[in-house]
Amino acid sequence: MATAVYSNVNPGALRQRISEGYLTQPMVVAAARGMDGHVLALVTLNAEGATLDRGEINPGVYGEGYVDRRHPHTWLHEAMAGVRNRTGPVRWALFGGKGFVPYGSDDPMVRPFVKYPVNHHHAQILERALLTATLQWRSGSLEAARFNGDEPEGPSDWPDNARLFDSWAARATVTPRQGLELSASAAGVQSPEFARGDGLDQKKRAAAVRFAAPNGRLRYWLVEVASTREYSGARQAFSFASALAEAEGVVGNVTLAARVERTTRPEEERVRSFYRTIRPLLDFNILGRTRWTTLTASVSHRGWGRGPVVGRPFVEVGYHVPRATLRPTPLDPVEVFGANHIWSLSFGVRMQAGHMRSRFGRYGLDS
Amino acid sequence: MSMLRSSVVLRTLGAAALLGSLACRDTSGDSQLPVTPPTTQPPAPTKLAVSGRGTITSRYTAEVWVHGNYGYTSSWGTRTVGGVATPGNTVHIWDVRGASPVLVDSVTVPGATTVGDVQVSADGRLLVVPTELSPGSVVVYDLTNPTKPLQVSVFTSPKITRGVHTCEIQTINGRVTAFLSINSASGAPARLMIVDLGDPVQPREVFTLDIPTSFIHDVFVRDGLLFTAQWNNGLVIFDIGGGGRGGTLQAPVELGRVVTTGGKVHNIWWFHDPASGAKKYAFVGEEGPGSLFNSSAGDIHVVDVSSLSAPREVAFYSVAGAGTHNFSVDEAGGFLYAAYYNGGVQVLDVRGDLAGCTAAQKAGDGRCDLQLMGRAKSNGLLDQGLPVFVWGVQFTGGALFASDMVNGLWRLTPSSR
Repeated sequence: MATAVYSNVNPGALRQRISEGYLTQPMVVAAARGMDGHVLALVTLNAEGATLDRGEINPGVYGEGYVDRRHPHTWLHEAMAGVRNRTGPVRWALFGGKGFVPYGSDDPMVRPFVKYPVNHHHAQILERALLTATLQWRSGSLEAARFNGDEPEGPSDWPDNARLFDSWAARATVTPRQGLELSASAAGVQSPEFARGDGLDQKKRAAAVRFAAPNGRLRYWLVEVASTREYSGARQAFSFASALAEAEGVVGNVTLAARVERTTRPEEERVRSFYRTIRPLLDFNILGRTRWTTLTASVSHRGWGRGPVVGRPFVEVGYHVPRATLRPTPLDPVEVFGANHIWSLSFGVRMQAGHMRSRFGRYGLDS
Repeated sequence: MSMLRSSVVLRTLGAAALLGSLACRDTSGDSQLPVTPPTTQPPAPTKLAVSGRGTITSRYTAEVWVHGNYGYTSSWGTRTVGGVATPGNTVHIWDVRGASPVLVDSVTVPGATTVGDVQVSADGRLLVVPTELSPGSVVVYDLTNPTKPLQVSVFTSPKITRGVHTCEIQTINGRVTAFLSINSASGAPARLMIVDLGDPVQPREVFTLDIPTSFIHDVFVRDGLLFTAQWNNGLVIFDIGGGGRGGTLQAPVELGRVVTTGGKVHNIWWFHDPASGAKKYAFVGEEGPGSLFNSSAGDIHVVDVSSLSAPREVAFYSVAGAGTHNFSVDEAGGFLYAAYYNGGVQVLDVRGDLAGCTAAQKAGDGRCDLQLMGRAKSNGLLDQGLPVFVWGVQFTGGALFASDMVNGLWRLTPSSR
């Protein structure tokens, strides 16, 4: 799959209008099953390292040395293998490799919008070396994992060997009726931003209610809250929070989607480009905290196919309001953008060939 | 059914907005610091009198160095107003003879985004400015005319490209010598480098030490000893000619180290008390996490260096909601001046025994609490009616100067007994 997108953001940093085109989320996804489906291997390759080196313009989004641009993911996005089986009424699974940590909500790449929400680093943890165990009984499941806390430092970066399994996460999920899912997650992430391991540690919490249906006008909705608290030893240094709601419906051949989000993020010292932040950090200070309120609406067509290839055109509009929540601050986003609100417009085509998994992570669970 | 679902969605969006307003309220308790409850009331610190201020609002002010009648302030980061960004690439030059520093000129370092540190050689002939963020360098100026620095060289090396955080200069064996604290980079360690500026036109690297397990932020050099602030490695002391272990500038020999409580060792001052002749204490600044201009964290730690091979922390000073940055010590007067970011300038009485305290003046881990010992003498700039964020202080020539990231350069009246 891949998405060809043209984006316009006005204003971008330093009052400059940004108009750019990319091939975003270029991925190859493969799966292999054996022993009657009891053994499963999943691989996802991601070529954003080649197409998104400058980052994808995305007001509010931050992380891994990028700000207001989404960072490229690693070439080997996922390589997980494991076994799953049933013991009495309990289904269980054990998986290991590199992939999605059982925490928070689904990765934005399998959700209705091309542009990522600001809370990506509050509500998902991915591209980690992990061991994960899953128990599923009736309508409930419990996933737990150990993984390396260090975030990738670039598309070619690998989990640090010295950091293997220094962090943990757990997610409990209940499905009270078909399509409706309630989940709660917790994670303790050691020094995600200092690969060496002596940075601030994070305690993360998330809860979500998700609905998905294959038919009908209302196909999907999600409501989630998430928080990240950062600690220096036992002292809480910073906290960030997020609430998000999004929904998708279908009318004829047209899919409509809307998202409302309010998320706080740290501000960090920027380098000359103004869309990149210093990595590795020079100390543990931040330059402030910004609350992003974002409304996003999307219209897409079910698309046209030619052989195994399907193209779905889309238009996405975003309205973004950043506000500094700690004052005074050396980095007030209103001063950085020279405006108190930002518009974004994106359009393009989502392309897909073959079968695409509807969800990522949740290894061994029905999805 | 679809209307019911739409209703659910609307209610859900409403609930999400409510959750959002709750989740994003600024009641997070950032930088919460534990406060040791006093068991006896120490005397309240007095206020330092402010003589005047030289205002800079175009850039964020960083370090200060005053020599004679002139002062120099460096600048940090990027100050953005209305979508226009101004980099911290400038050294401002001040006439400090009057009550208020007067800006007389400035020097811009081309290509720099931060010139975080600045220092004048003891003889007043050289001004040395490191540049931070890539490309790192050390720019050397001639101060024959102290208001018109003349660039004489730029020291660059592949070993410092990632940025020079600080550059301390000392005259050793008659030669000006620079000690560079170099940033780490992805896949590249932090680094200490010693550079000979004996010929300022041709700086020459004489020693490099990689520090793969931590940062290095600053050093303090005195009497042939090199005190390095190696973050979570702690305070690490080297013999560079005065430690009796055969160390030299070309081959420093480690004498000892101590990780002060909380680590994050940022800066050091080895105190020589002329009143007693004691050289017992080193003061260590801890730079904890903070949100610039709003909060800061990190204590002053007092380390007994009577045994250089076994230094040990004996006391500390903590300010709730604020953290320390750089120091300057009036050794004759026995006062430590600490830049304390949003805590302004904090003044400690450091004369005498800092390790002797009553049980009631000790923290749970046995260290003496200088606050409870009544060592907090004064503070400054907290009564000016505007936010301050003090990066550096310098006590010199009977005057006290404080560089304030937000406002510029202050002149204050120092403490006295």
